[in-house]
Amino acid sequence: MALIEVKNLCVEFPTRHATLKALRGVNFSIEKGERLGIVGESGAGKSLSAFAMLNLLSKPGRIAEGEILFEGQDLSKLNDDEMRSIRGNRISMIFQDPMMTLNPVLTIGTQMVETLQAHRKISKAAARLIAIDRLNEVRIPSAEERLESYPHELSGGMRQRVVIAIALLTEPVLIIADEPTTALDVTIQAEIMSLMLDLCKTHNVGLILITHDLAVVSQVTQKVIVMYAGRVVEQGATRAVIENPRHPYTRGLMAALPQQNTPGKRLFQIPGSMPTLDAMPDGCAFNPRCEHVGDDCRNKMPKLDSFEGHLVRCHKAEELQIKGEKS
Amino acid sequence: MSTEDKTPLVSVKDVHKVFDLGGHFLQKETPKVKAINDVSLNIAVGESFCLVGESGCGKSTLARTVMGLLKPSAGEIGYNGTRIDDLAHNERLPFHRNMQMIFQNPYASLNPRRSVQKTLEEPLRFHCPEMSNSAIKEKVEEVMVSVGNDPSWGARYPHEFSGGQRQRISIARALMVDPEFVVADEPISALDVSIQAQVLNVMMDAQEKRNLTYLFITHDLSVVEHFGSRVGVMYLGTLCELATTKTLFAKPRHPYTQVLLAAIPTLSCEEMTSTKSVGEVPSAMNLPTGCVFHNRCPFANERCKREVPRLRTLDDGAAVACHAVEEGRIES
Amino acid sequence: MKRLKKFLASDFFYQFKSDKMAIVSFTIIFTFVTLAVLAPLISPYNPHDPSQIDLMDSEIPPVWDHNADEEPDARFWLGTDQQGRDMFSAILYGLRISLIIGIFAVAVQMVIGIAIGLISGYVGGRVDAFFMRLADIQLSLSTMMIAIIGLAIFQATFGAELYEEMAVFMLVLVIGIAEWPQYARTVRASVLAERNKEYVDAARVIGLSSPIIMVRHILPNTLSPLLVISTVQVANAIISEAALSFLGLGMPVTMPSLGSLISSGFEYIFSGSWWITTIPAFVLILLILMINLLGDWLRDVLNPKLYKG
Repeated sequence: MALIEVKNLCVEFPTRHATLKALRGVNFSIEKGERLGIVGESGAGKSLSAFAMLNLLSKPGRIAEGEILFEGQDLSKLNDDEMRSIRGNRISMIFQDPMMTLNPVLTIGTQMVETLQAHRKISKAAARLIAIDRLNEVRIPSAEERLESYPHELSGGMRQRVVIAIALLTEPVLIIADEPTTALDVTIQAEIMSLMLDLCKTHNVGLILITHDLAVVSQVTQKVIVMYAGRVVEQGATRAVIENPRHPYTRGLMAALPQQNTPGKRLFQIPGSMPTLDAMPDGCAFNPRCEHVGDDCRNKMPKLDSFEGHLVRCHKAEELQIKGEKS
Repeated sequence: MSTEDKTPLVSVKDVHKVFDLGGHFLQKETPKVKAINDVSLNIAVGESFCLVGESGCGKSTLARTVMGLLKPSAGEIGYNGTRIDDLAHNERLPFHRNMQMIFQNPYASLNPRRSVQKTLEEPLRFHCPEMSNSAIKEKVEEVMVSVGNDPSWGARYPHEFSGGQRQRISIARALMVDPEFVVADEPISALDVSIQAQVLNVMMDAQEKRNLTYLFITHDLSVVEHFGSRVGVMYLGTLCELATTKTLFAKPRHPYTQVLLAAIPTLSCEEMTSTKSVGEVPSAMNLPTGCVFHNRCPFANERCKREVPRLRTLDDGAAVACHAVEEGRIES
Repeated sequence: MKRLKKFLASDFFYQFKSDKMAIVSFTIIFTFVTLAVLAPLISPYNPHDPSQIDLMDSEIPPVWDHNADEEPDARFWLGTDQQGRDMFSAILYGLRISLIIGIFAVAVQMVIGIAIGLISGYVGGRVDAFFMRLADIQLSLSTMMIAIIGLAIFQATFGAELYEEMAVFMLVLVIGIAEWPQYARTVRASVLAERNKEYVDAARVIGLSSPIIMVRHILPNTLSPLLVISTVQVANAIISEAALSFLGLGMPVTMPSLGSLISSGFEYIFSGSWWITTIPAFVLILLILMINLLGDWLRDVLNPKLYKG
């Protein structure tokens, strides 16, 4: 049985002008220990999917439809108390900016012990021992002394390690990481990412990695979802999607990377920008920017077609594949 | 790389910048941050000079010092042969026409209370007070179109635009007075990937059309490889390596450059291997003695701990500040 | 016209329409202001004109409060005070004076406070330290104390007659000068935040001089929090003036503000003529309350983090 299964997740924001549909029909499942990447640009809905799963949507956002099946329960139907026993306990979350995640006026030790004691009946001393263990695991030197440090005394990379340690304290089965390395320096990013990969494998913990960085996704995840304007446009095994992208948006994203272009020449660019929620075009949301756009694309929203498990939401997917086009 | 024969457009000579953090008046020695330590470089006309490094390396500080937003604690900044860092405000005015800047944060680089039109007209009205209103409007329209913006944006306010659009407006503002030299401080770091390509293209087009010289600050090496003609690598306020882009990527010599290049994630679908931790960047308040990189460097020896390495030019034109390279301990 | 339409369609106006308290408080304040502005036109008598006052008419109760056998005096809707002045007219004129002093005092505070806050925040260093210490000293002395000392000295030096003529001006000046630190600090805080933003750097890169950057770029971006504290400051200024008048240091007896009316009627409150103190007090309390409520609403609405959904 899958660890977590998201079915037809729809999130909307009722405002006084109109109801904005931020997420439409997102489906995915993760097995125990599997790593999924959710890729997209700002506004595509990737962070929203994670927040919706943990019922962390800020008002007036709400889950309009769909199910989130986890350990025999539908997370979308749980009340606050029930959610609290899952959040931080069975499913942990790592956010982008560690300085915002950690309370600046409490020591690391206090925060870690607090987290443990919130979900388990253990003494402070026992909790401290577990905390030191985890800090060692994330390779923080002098773990025991570190318990008395305040977040501002640590560097950015160390703080994010502490956040990862906290996420692992309660031995969750799933970790959701929302752009965990975006705020860090390049050399630290690589270290943190490989650390997370190691830990997930060692503890057999599932991982949902939300990021805009295709390269990181290609090196860390086993499955990937590409999101655009609130919908999944491509989904499948990471290798399949990266090596053989079928949706024009995914192709455009990869083609726009500087490393894929000849130095000194104009970069491939996708014209225009992602539509805002209140100005969605008819038909396929990508059609105003797509170089392969056809009449169908302007009128009908394509469905997710499957190509041997590789899902694509594009009227022209098959056509483009046959032509062997690579943009 | 022969900039010896022609006067470089921009010259940075032995520049130091120290920030005094100030304490209460009872402290004997106030804490200081040594942001830039003895950096020298030249930028020739038409170059796209990239300055790379991670946070805290001083690249933004250097950019701001070149532009005059900060005064160097020591050393000189020169433009076209004239020293500019010690000029009074009105003496510096003509240089403000020739040197312009694009900033990192598109959400903070446009005044939220001014319409786009007013923001774009401002540099023109200030530097060319003799221009008529209609001439100004024409010029604004011309520059907007040349960077791919819709001239009708003029009536709107910055908050109505996306990050990428705002950045293009900022570029238009910088180009309004027809500068020769543009400093771009991480102009695309805050933007989405597909928009980064757009903005980078706008900058490249502008360079071709207007024969601009760029000082491009970034931490993204893949952009450097694509965009830059020459690269300077900075670490904790020191210039570690200076070379043409091709040379740097083909043969990185400084141990820090090697670490940087190795850290770039690739679209390889190969699982990440465990990277050995090379430790954290030390604080710029407490600079290590000798070579600033020595406590993270696998090649460090006693000399590295005592002596600050000088930038030495090698046969192929690259310049490296490293004892190990000088002593032949690293293949060069 | 277009701007009006845009305003009516804006989120701000929508928030206003949906909040009953905002509508009520705004309406009441608007009514009071209108009454005050039109006071010379709508007031049945001129309470400042001694020829219209007849001592025989003193202490007449309001129309609804009379003994069963007496006829209510229709000339004086709200009754008269101990001098024979019509309460309704006195209150209208008193309201007018209170509002004038409140608004102009705040205007003085704003001008001084914004100027100092702007320079202090932008220039920083010793200038900033100097002005902020000055503000600290001023804040540690209460407004009342400064006002009392200032007014007492003035009255002692120049005599009561000159004081009567200059009363409004003096009160505006004293209350204005006493409270500039509020504005200075608020503006300075905004300036410190805006100063580091890149649009300021961009303006410097263009070559603009510091004064131009301060006024043209930074100042407009510091106005939002000022609007919020202004409402409270107006209320405070009115109360300060009322308190000073109550103590006898504010408006002279011949040109009473609401505070003076409350004060002069105070002795009569237990001897039966309750209306002389109570009705002006009620008006004053209502005015201050409504201003504070509107200010609260404004603060919530202008705070982008609070008013979602």
